[in-house]
Amino acid sequence: MKWLRGGGIAGFIIRRLLLGLVVLLLVSIIVFVSTQALGDPARAILGRDATPDRLAALQKQLNLDSSKVGQYFHWLGGLLSGDLGTSLASSQPVSEVLGDRIANSAVLVVLAAVVSVPLSIAIGSYAALRREKIFDTVSSNLMLVLAALPEFVVAVLLVILLSTNVFHWLPSISPVPPGTHAWDYPDELVMPVATLVIAVAPYVSRIMRASMIEVLESDYVEMARLKGLPERTVLIRHALPNAIGPVFQVIAINLAYLAGGVVVIESVFNYPGIGLALVDAVNAHDIPVVQALAMLIAAVYVVLNLLADVATILVTPRLRTRL
Amino acid sequence: MSATESAPALAEGVETPTPPVRSSALLARSLRLWRTRIGAILTLILVLVALVGPLVAPHGSAEFIAKPFTSAAASNTVFGTDYLGYDVLSRFLYGGRSILVIAVISTAIGVVLGVVIGLVAAYARNALDDILMRAMDVIMAFPQIMLALVAVSLVGAKNWVIVVAIALTTAPRVARVARGAAQPVVERDFIGATEAMGMSRVRILFGELLPNILGPMMVEATLRLTYSIAVISALAFLGLAANPDAPNWGTMIQKNQGALAYQPAGALLPILAIALLTMGTGLIGDGIARTAAGIDRERGDE
Amino acid sequence: MTESGEQRWRVIERAEGPSDGLWTPSRRGMVMGASGVAMAATLAACGGGSAPAPSGGESTDAAGAPKKGGNFRLGVTGGGSKDMMDGQNIVTKPDQARLVTAFETLLEFDDEYQLQTTGLAESVEADNPKQYTIRIRDGITFQDGKPLTADDVIYSLQRIGTQKNGLTGYAATATMDIKNIKKVDDRTVRLPLLSADSTIPQTLASYTFGIVPVGYEAFSVTKDPSKQIGTGAYKLKSFTPGQESVHERYDGYWRDAWFDTVTITDFTDATAQINALKGGQIDAMTDLPANQVEAVKSSGVEALISQTGGWIPICMAIDMPPFDDPKVRQAMRLIIDRKQILEQLGSGYGQIAKDLYAPFDEGYYDDLPEREQDIDQAKSLLKSAGKEGLAVDLHTTNGAAGMVELASVFASQAKAAGVKITVKNDPNYYGDSYLKLAFSVDFWGTRGYLNQVQQGSLPTSPYNETHWPPKSGTGSDFGDLYKQALAETDTNKRIEIQHQMQKYEYDIGGYIIPYFNSLIDGHSSKVKGLKPSKGTLNLAGFGHGFRTIWFA
Repeated sequence: MKWLRGGGIAGFIIRRLLLGLVVLLLVSIIVFVSTQALGDPARAILGRDATPDRLAALQKQLNLDSSKVGQYFHWLGGLLSGDLGTSLASSQPVSEVLGDRIANSAVLVVLAAVVSVPLSIAIGSYAALRREKIFDTVSSNLMLVLAALPEFVVAVLLVILLSTNVFHWLPSISPVPPGTHAWDYPDELVMPVATLVIAVAPYVSRIMRASMIEVLESDYVEMARLKGLPERTVLIRHALPNAIGPVFQVIAINLAYLAGGVVVIESVFNYPGIGLALVDAVNAHDIPVVQALAMLIAAVYVVLNLLADVATILVTPRLRTRL
Repeated sequence: MSATESAPALAEGVETPTPPVRSSALLARSLRLWRTRIGAILTLILVLVALVGPLVAPHGSAEFIAKPFTSAAASNTVFGTDYLGYDVLSRFLYGGRSILVIAVISTAIGVVLGVVIGLVAAYARNALDDILMRAMDVIMAFPQIMLALVAVSLVGAKNWVIVVAIALTTAPRVARVARGAAQPVVERDFIGATEAMGMSRVRILFGELLPNILGPMMVEATLRLTYSIAVISALAFLGLAANPDAPNWGTMIQKNQGALAYQPAGALLPILAIALLTMGTGLIGDGIARTAAGIDRERGDE
Repeated sequence: MTESGEQRWRVIERAEGPSDGLWTPSRRGMVMGASGVAMAATLAACGGGSAPAPSGGESTDAAGAPKKGGNFRLGVTGGGSKDMMDGQNIVTKPDQARLVTAFETLLEFDDEYQLQTTGLAESVEADNPKQYTIRIRDGITFQDGKPLTADDVIYSLQRIGTQKNGLTGYAATATMDIKNIKKVDDRTVRLPLLSADSTIPQTLASYTFGIVPVGYEAFSVTKDPSKQIGTGAYKLKSFTPGQESVHERYDGYWRDAWFDTVTITDFTDATAQINALKGGQIDAMTDLPANQVEAVKSSGVEALISQTGGWIPICMAIDMPPFDDPKVRQAMRLIIDRKQILEQLGSGYGQIAKDLYAPFDEGYYDDLPEREQDIDQAKSLLKSAGKEGLAVDLHTTNGAAGMVELASVFASQAKAAGVKITVKNDPNYYGDSYLKLAFSVDFWGTRGYLNQVQQGSLPTSPYNETHWPPKSGTGSDFGDLYKQALAETDTNKRIEIQHQMQKYEYDIGGYIIPYFNSLIDGHSSKVKGLKPSKGTLNLAGFGHGFRTIWFA
């Protein structure tokens, strides 16, 4: 689309932002419509105890009546003004219910990113440099094995190894009592973060390796070498920036995946994050909480991709010129 | 998001070779690599276990043997009994079929759908491209496991729900890669030539474009299959399999993991099976990627 | 005290030591006529609280003398964001644990599931079949220091009996004349009934009949921990639904309590619970899976196994095809292999049942023969009913441990009789289709027989899964028999009526009850004072409101 082009990097970022907002708007409609299918929250909350009298009492209490379209715009308006509504299950403001949990999950994801991203970029790059040598073979195959293990398997194995059966070094669960912060319990964070790192690192390092190999074989690296630049300069100034571009996309996708996919890990470690909150809210048909979480996770995805795109453009010289 | 404009797509690391390699030739050539061979053998063994297992199982899948988690010796079986007192080995032999069938079907649907959308988008190069890729972005904004989880909780843990949820979340990811791989091909002269010859669009898409991106697509398909197996077993692990007590590797891990410390086979066998299976498909994908990228060309081994 | 009075309440014998034959109804236990519960003279001294556990929870064995201190951390599964705190209401299992920290009942069940006057009332007497008098113990204060009075008891009963409050116990107040409860003096309440009901004392001992102060409201309304004021041993300090609640000892408590604080933490999964218990992150857990009992023993974890009267029935709606034919119901009851199911689901922890409930009730019909699997007879019954090769859907959900497994196992057993059962595991089962299904699985806890009938086996019952009793023919007088039993003052006669009711249910009822399950909980070896209880709640009524357990 011609009208979408031009304006340099600033224009690019603005266009991306606008497109991100459009995506989020569409997401909001899908989220709203599909969560209506969750059914009567009053019944879900009471479960077996949904006797007519208790049901009637709760339905009245929850005010489950008004037009759907009106509800959507009311909800959207609330979202934009930061009012996420009230949890049907706990009758507390959604922001209050989720606040701590978002912070907890964020700690997990950020820590996992801080550890896994440099680690996997280093492993991937080094493997590419030493292609077909011992380090490459060992790391590639190890990454393949790790990538093949579903994360709940990794989590369960870590617990057995480090907490319950072989060694007794680390606590097996990470409950983070309300009112405290996840980082107050560093020992409880080790295993959840390690599991996430093991889940993410193989993919990032594999892509990094492939991308680096491609760049190393490219003409401009060849050119730089021919010009007589020192190998170190060739690698750091020319190869790495170009190779890392595609990797940002993978990192973004993996981090976005973590934001929603921590469910399993939070369940194994009883860690009070958004994954557990989502499972719980879906089971309780707690529509406002499900909606808020779905929007949050979608927004994280959109923002991470935006950042990845911008970062890719900024670090990759040959792309910057095309803008 | 990256797919519009000229930001790099995920697949940019995997350049397609020229001239186009036929898929059979690509497979055959990739099989010269040891990693592809190992992957193929692993995958074959596990598929065999899944398909033939029920025929050779020593006991029925719901035949009570002894108290739950009885040892092999005490129950006179190979691996002891599981959480319901059934024979672990027999449950294992029965348990691969459903997970494999669901994974293959859902991945196949997702890949086909994704390739079609990606090719159409790449070839269209206009508003249709933008619309399609925006739609893909909307779906991709929901992580796979989360969408599957919500769908299963909404409709119930039925097999078709799991298939639809996985296919739906697989398609946009494949579409992105397909589009990214097809874009440079579209720019090439021979596509312009075929257009000039008046070839139909369908033939251009599937006769000319598709063969040129088969390499990355095969890699993507194996990667997606790996993910699908992981998601299905994770759902089972969260207790969301269609029938939570039917023999199923994912369910076996969930239900038997409590006994990992003293009757490990019930959980370890399916863990190993799933790990080896995903490793196998991963190795095949890796081998094809290397062959297609021209790495290790004509070397035959590593 | 009443022992010198009309002696309408018979003296309650306390069962000594670990009971033999666990669940065999104890005939020497208190016999309850319409005239209600009596109290032992010895119980009058209970108020002082020198003994650790007046209500049967005491253990004077090797546990050593109880001592104060410590934070008791309990891990409970089954909770979520819908967790609540209300002295008279629960929706999840952690809610049960929370309720008993702060709220107490007028009467209490001991560990043998016998009524005791160890609670807030020093007596509950039937003045006549349609009127009870409740006498409150002296010197009891709420956690804010306010003395417990008749007004609080009246407020509490009226709060439960008001339909729009939607409280758990509402259905059980059907026979109470809620509006006309009268205060006689500060410590005496007169409870009139609409119709004779000999189960009133049992109702008053149900844990959801907690006594709350006048003006009390649930946590979800006040959102203020300091407003959760009961007479119990622990006062709510903080509460985050779905995560955790912290409770501090109330120093003015009228009995002894040992822990400084109690922390109740939600768990999503038993494996995480077991790991946390093994690793010392919690001190006790609810619902240790039966097949893990042997395994955890090696790691310093002790299992508390209580044979309860809890049951997981397969329910056949007697007015819906194919179960509207008694022959089909009979066939289903012959298809099931109870011994094998007890092994598979309970690892042998439990007692085989014969499709009757309330095993601790003195009127339990022991003499009816056990039911053995008999595939041939089942087949011929199905044949004569014209239902050979029957195919039917069995609905279940993850409502309580074992519900899904029971359906799966029964389905595989039914194949032998040529019956094809398809298990439908539906997460929205209780919300959408409960009580409307022909064939379903449900769960129940320990109850007396008549209380249970009132809950699940009458046309007016809130949870009548089997649509019992029949509208005509044999068994149609079940409801009349129930009313007779409620009003019957002579124990033997009442038992006779109950036997007739159970005979109907045994012959043509809609329940398949394979076994009575055990409650199995895990605790670290430093937790003392726990012993098995026949009651409904885990960990022996959560250590009787966390007051009869302590750290060694």
